[in-house]
Amino acid sequence: MATYQEFIQQNEDRDGVRCSWNLWPSSRLEATRLVVPVSCLYTPLKERPDLPPVQYEPVLCSRANCKAVLNPLCQVDFRAKIWACNFCFQRNSFPPSYAGISEVNQPAELMPQFSTIEYIVQRGPPTPLIFLYVVDTCLEEEDLQALKESLQMSLSLLPPNALVGLITFGRMIQIHELSCEGIAKSYVFRGTKELTPKQIQEMLGLMKPATSGQQGKPLAPHDAAAASCIFLQPVQAVDMNLTDLLGELQRDPWPVPQGKRPLRSTGIALSIAIGLLEGTFPNTGARVMLFTGGPPTQGPGMVVGDELKTPIRSWHDIQKDNARHLKKATKYYEALANRAAVNGHSVDIYACALDQTGLLEMKCLSNLTGGHIVMGDSFNTSLFKQTFQRVFSKDYNGEFRMAFGGTLEVKTSRELKISGVIGPCVSLNTKGPCVSDNEMGVGGTCQWKICSLTPATTLAMYFEVVNQHNAPVPQGGRGAVQFVTQYQHSNTQRRIRVTTIARNWADAQSQIQHIESSFDQEASAVLMARLGVFRAESEEGPDVLRWLDRQLIRLFMFHLRRSPFLQVFNNSPDESSYYRHHFVRQDLTQSLIMIQPILYSYSFYGPPEPVLLDSSSILPDRILLMDTFFQLVIYHGETIAQWRKAGYQEMAEYENFKQLLQAPLDDAQEILQTRFPMPRYIDTEHGGSQARFLLSKVNPSQTHNNLYAWGQESGAPILTDDVSLQVFMDHLKKLAVSSAA
Amino acid sequence: MSDRFVKPGNQEHGWNDPPQFSYGSQKDSGGPKRNILNKRVHAPQFTGSGAEMPSPSVAMPTPPRGMNPPPMDSITPPSVCPKTPSDGKMETEPSFEDVQEPLYGALNACRHTVKKQICDDVERRLKLFEDMWKSGKLSHLVKHRMHRLSQDLKRKNWDAADEIHRGLMVDHVAEVSQWMVGVKRLIAEARSLNPEQNICTDPGS
Repeated sequence: MATYQEFIQQNEDRDGVRCSWNLWPSSRLEATRLVVPVSCLYTPLKERPDLPPVQYEPVLCSRANCKAVLNPLCQVDFRAKIWACNFCFQRNSFPPSYAGISEVNQPAELMPQFSTIEYIVQRGPPTPLIFLYVVDTCLEEEDLQALKESLQMSLSLLPPNALVGLITFGRMIQIHELSCEGIAKSYVFRGTKELTPKQIQEMLGLMKPATSGQQGKPLAPHDAAAASCIFLQPVQAVDMNLTDLLGELQRDPWPVPQGKRPLRSTGIALSIAIGLLEGTFPNTGARVMLFTGGPPTQGPGMVVGDELKTPIRSWHDIQKDNARHLKKATKYYEALANRAAVNGHSVDIYACALDQTGLLEMKCLSNLTGGHIVMGDSFNTSLFKQTFQRVFSKDYNGEFRMAFGGTLEVKTSRELKISGVIGPCVSLNTKGPCVSDNEMGVGGTCQWKICSLTPATTLAMYFEVVNQHNAPVPQGGRGAVQFVTQYQHSNTQRRIRVTTIARNWADAQSQIQHIESSFDQEASAVLMARLGVFRAESEEGPDVLRWLDRQLIRLFMFHLRRSPFLQVFNNSPDESSYYRHHFVRQDLTQSLIMIQPILYSYSFYGPPEPVLLDSSSILPDRILLMDTFFQLVIYHGETIAQWRKAGYQEMAEYENFKQLLQAPLDDAQEILQTRFPMPRYIDTEHGGSQARFLLSKVNPSQTHNNLYAWGQESGAPILTDDVSLQVFMDHLKKLAVSSAA
Repeated sequence: MSDRFVKPGNQEHGWNDPPQFSYGSQKDSGGPKRNILNKRVHAPQFTGSGAEMPSPSVAMPTPPRGMNPPPMDSITPPSVCPKTPSDGKMETEPSFEDVQEPLYGALNACRHTVKKQICDDVERRLKLFEDMWKSGKLSHLVKHRMHRLSQDLKRKNWDAADEIHRGLMVDHVAEVSQWMVGVKRLIAEARSLNPEQNICTDPGS
């Protein structure tokens, strides 16, 4: 229905929310029959150029276990200056500063167009942002040089009053004193010995000296800040020295014998970084940025030994329980990740190598804290350099697109409870009346912490309808959810973004068609997909695929089933971790591209047009542009390729052919210029080895198995045993009919 | 403009490395993204009756294998987005003295208030810049952009100068990294001496 599409779009534009259902079934029983739960995607910091923040504190409900924020759904008595909380119905008096409000003079937060509103609040002195570089020096010379240059460049991109620090590692770990003058000193740690946070802080001089009979105590925050100043300094004070220091970094001096890997003590390096921040700046926005060119091979957190003849674990190894270090290393990094998350610090991983680097084990460091994972072949590539630059990109206001120290609290009206969240966050274990016992994703809480977030960060939220069957539709007819996100803006201001949404209840027995027409297929596909990925990460693969087949969302599910998120065949464990990392945090549009890539066809016969992601779209006289989010593929059909090879584009009378070749390149530009992370760029043609990127994504409606069933030769057959969409749908239909019988 | 360009990616070191865009071409032009490549074709509905194969898209006759040339017609297929205009013609190379004068001017102004060690460090880097210029180690683009930066410095357009320094660091890091941080510091120190002169002529703001 056109109206529901508009409704959905307007709500997304205003609130950053997409709900699976836009009419909610009023009874628990009916809700569970819907297969897709009542759920939504929420982008807390969606860019709203038209929404000026207000500079006062939000007004809260006075009931101790409610504290909902005043919003457009609240009933207001302007004369008595009283408002009724729409969540708990408590009557509250307005604060004295609201004495002048009236029907014609309403505060912004009561107006329907401000269902999403942002407050700037004072919460103590502003604290600087911190960037702690943790750099692997076991790289090839050229690679290290490129990385050094990128790091030097980044010093010019950092916010000017940010604090910056440098830890380098290989076999040993060095934490560098940064000063404005004199000789550069560093503290050296062995890469094999695990240290407790207290030991690290002691060794770095961040503890008060122990008096007789007494343990060393941590310094008070301002003393600790003073002591840490040797390791974490304002970039504007040390940029010249740090530039020189980076320029002089050498490869790890320990020689690597033939047949061996370099000894890389990533585990201890991260432990020192996290320990340093823990001891000096807890609860301040900080990013640990790990740059690594290979897997950890020494000390706690090692992923593979140093013998090259022992390859790093593959999915096959994992399934056969043949991955020696996997459990221990994962546990080690999970413990570090949780410590970082508790302190509000995020960890980025920039992993550039031709072989795997241990993302499977280390991914929790970024997934739990909201940090980035960037995966490339070498630091000397434009993919790494430009993706890294975009970490520091600025918005329309010239402000950085990164925010820190986020906490999200969700409140629901009493007919709903929260089952959980899937996204780059951790639980704050906050119990309350809104918390459901049935967990989906990260549940058992109504508050989550997101240590680092961007305007694209999107969380999936799952709800449970708790109203009993046959209970009357609740008074007012609408269920409501409020999202309150507190965070530190990149300009160090503290802000609170409040979004309050409502949807009508509907009686499923009499209004089932209305409920069905309010279904948002796109949002539901992504919500179910995230559930699938969450389960795949915590349970066995094949069970997830069977579960997915029972969720009947047709086309998207077909592509999801074959996607690298669930189908691990053909990807390394690190690659799977990388794709999943991005899938569970991107917004709806990007997530859909990842599930079902977009395909455009260019020809002489008309303007560029979207075409079916199907082998029948591959024709000799077409150029195809495919966007999978991680790759941009430009595929030249057989005839086009022959013309290109013959050089017609160089001849003046074939100018239109030249333009045809250029058209997809121009269209790809906008994506290439803005997407984070930067996609790979594949220019290929019929018969080219890189054509496999396209061929593996399209629906193989014509394979070598059924080619001769076709009357005419059109489209390119795909050599695969993968089922086609048609076969898949037939199978699903049989399944649906048999389970209902 | 000399600060908008695209280079190919590094195919030697990276599989399918994307092209490299200059700093100037990557900045957000503001406003909602055009998101031009965002349409899908919906698959035909699979109803209970008759499992039909999806019909192939417009079946054009394939050209004979003997490779006829492409159509030479006036049909020029437009791309979805308009092409960006090509670069303007190159100006004549600036003289080093022109560039040097505002830089040393700013440095001398700072000597009264800023620590000697920092000023000496900045000067050392300006000398390195001079050496590299005079021995031909700096590219045309870098020289032009440094000329514009020094003009902005002279006119106390701190934000604009800062933005040029950032663009140079991003686009030409190998050439400039050793000495550019000195220029960066110079801009910062000169700015703090003249806080009221913060008039932005930066087109981005």
